[in-house]
Amino acid sequence: MEGEERRLAASLTARYSEWVLEELDELRGSFLLTDPAMPGHPIVYASRGLAALTGYPRRELLGRNARLFQGAATDRAAVSGVREAVRAQRAHQVAILNYRRDGSPHWVLLHLAPVFHAADGRVLHFLAVQVPIAPASSPRRHPGRPPAFAACREEARGEEELPCASHVGEVFVDIDKRGLEAEEPRIASGCDKEMALSTANSIFSTLNRYSKLTGLVVCERRCDSVGIPALSSSLNLSLGRIKQSFVLTDRHLPDMPIVYASDAFLSLTGYSREEILGCNCRFLNGPGTSAEVLEEINRHICREEACTVHLLNYRKDGSTFRDLLHVSPIRNSSGKVGLHPFQVAFHVWVHLDESAKHDFSGLTPEVWQLGAVGAVRVAVRSLSASGSLLRPSQ
Amino acid sequence: MVSATKLEGGYCFHSKNSPLDQPEGVKIHLYRLGIEQHDALKSFAYAGQGSPSLLDTFILSQWENFAQKGHMGYDVTACELKVIEGQRDFVIQMNDKWNTFPLKKHDKFGHPFGCLKPNSAKSYEELLLCIAEGEDTEPEVVPSTTPPNNGVLLIANAYPVEYGHIFLVPNSTNQLSSFWDKRMFGLITKIASEVNSTAFRVFFDDGTSIVPKHMFFQACYFANPLPVESASTVALYDGATRSGICVSEIVDYPLKALVFTSTNVNALVDVVSEACLALHEKNTVHSLMMSNNGRNVFLFPQVKNLVTGCYLSAWECCGYFVYHTKVDFDRASETGISNRMASFSFQDGEFEDLKKLCCAIADDLVT
Repeated sequence: MEGEERRLAASLTARYSEWVLEELDELRGSFLLTDPAMPGHPIVYASRGLAALTGYPRRELLGRNARLFQGAATDRAAVSGVREAVRAQRAHQVAILNYRRDGSPHWVLLHLAPVFHAADGRVLHFLAVQVPIAPASSPRRHPGRPPAFAACREEARGEEELPCASHVGEVFVDIDKRGLEAEEPRIASGCDKEMALSTANSIFSTLNRYSKLTGLVVCERRCDSVGIPALSSSLNLSLGRIKQSFVLTDRHLPDMPIVYASDAFLSLTGYSREEILGCNCRFLNGPGTSAEVLEEINRHICREEACTVHLLNYRKDGSTFRDLLHVSPIRNSSGKVGLHPFQVAFHVWVHLDESAKHDFSGLTPEVWQLGAVGAVRVAVRSLSASGSLLRPSQ
Repeated sequence: MVSATKLEGGYCFHSKNSPLDQPEGVKIHLYRLGIEQHDALKSFAYAGQGSPSLLDTFILSQWENFAQKGHMGYDVTACELKVIEGQRDFVIQMNDKWNTFPLKKHDKFGHPFGCLKPNSAKSYEELLLCIAEGEDTEPEVVPSTTPPNNGVLLIANAYPVEYGHIFLVPNSTNQLSSFWDKRMFGLITKIASEVNSTAFRVFFDDGTSIVPKHMFFQACYFANPLPVESASTVALYDGATRSGICVSEIVDYPLKALVFTSTNVNALVDVVSEACLALHEKNTVHSLMMSNNGRNVFLFPQVKNLVTGCYLSAWECCGYFVYHTKVDFDRASETGISNRMASFSFQDGEFEDLKKLCCAIADDLVT
């Protein structure tokens, strides 16, 4: 578990330096940070205030998905709204019924905001601030309302020694009545909203300050520096998990520009992401690059077929490498991109430096490359609620 | 240039393309699991890190190769997908060519493979690889002419429900129980852990078996979590500090379901096996879905739908549906799907009993 904790912490320390944790610890308010690129979208930071508010020790929160705060009477529509905001990568505020560790419900104003990488517009983290909402001054109660939900939970908790005791189940059997049994919905006051915003702002300013130490620089708003449509967040995240060196080009834009480049591709070629997004792949070519082979690639692209070729290509520093290149058409299943529904939307270009030492555990380079193609095909099946692989324009 | 030693020393993937040239018989790819993978904690320790796992890359590559050679009934990546926006975000696919029972023609998979005969090579095209326990510390891929007894055969489904759809069929002559083999389920769980991909999900259906008396699993790659994975859960049994097993109930979902989670492979396999055997003894149809690198197992008990007489498949239990006609696809609604799922759901009383049983099984494991 030690390693697991270090890995979660690295999500922050690698991007904002080691000192960011101390600085965040100094900030008041209850908030958490999640990393959407890690499997399960786990919590990677929880503030002291959050531990006090929810009753969860901080260590217990790390690595869990933030939906652990939800419970039987949490409004599903509010949850859907949050999920949609995560998918669309936008800020969102909602009053929501959460549960503490001991099972008691409490109303909070949830303020959610994405933290963007300034250079390429990727979402690095989500920030969630929770501000407790006080009950309205004259709480109205339903006449004949059943005993408070918390009491039931309390009873269940008393049975912890006998985990199979039927109480545990009974509490949740009548979930269909949740609208009746839940507490009166609370409305966040202007003061609550301001407090959420000001907490979020102080976190942003901390992250921004420390991100400059690592040279990464994060910001609150996405800055689209390149003139190409960005991929949806779910597609970006799925692609981010693929470790092979590849780029995706958009078939339907003039000159087939690169719309995604993997980290491995950047380290192979020496370019930064912002330098190549929006460019045609030909920037890799130079003297000695075979025109016939390039022509062959084009022929396969036109016929919507896959091909594997050997090519001499150039890195940013001018050095050459023997490129084993596999190009495959990638279809789009959402049917909403471009004028050609369900047709080829992208091409994946998997590059491999043939002269470098690779450890494929006995597999041939071709197997390794086809594995990347498969992984890209899976990623492109990822759906955003809008059904589009491109991010909705704002 | 390619490093010569690597290529020569490496196992040539394309050797399979010319089986007739090999007098010794058809070669299949045998993936031997590393011994250290058997230690639950170690194998889970590196989850989510570093490069893709060897097995993940190999399965995707073999499937892609099979697809690029034109053996698929259709290109599933061209089949339209849609999220039905709502509380549950069901996912539906439009696919007029999907065939429910493609394994039917594979009568041969009901019997263990012996030595593969060269002259029948063509019919083994869909056999992507075989996975078995290994003896080395590191996993390895080796050529083999004989799939080992007690291994698992990975067979491409030419009528996939999603990218990477495979059948995982035990190749075993001495299965103790034709319905459920705990050792085999353990191997399947290890495979899910070894693939180490958040997209990889394994399915099991009891009662809808198309190869009677032979246990088999299916697996697919899904880019997004399946709807059931986003549903709220309420813990029923928390053995986190003891066996590592947690049993939870899925709430606010039309089909009653339980989810078992653990970082301890053996404990998870023990508890789920007990639960499945108990359900099978009562002739209760049920489906399983394994996700999160083999750490989560969802259990869906089902009742027979008296109108249709059929059952939901495991992915349907998870909220993923395939439609054959555009009209049905366009008309699909959250209410319609919820009602359909609810018609297969356990009654409250039955489900209470199952919950108690599963908690008791998990508790027994500790003492």
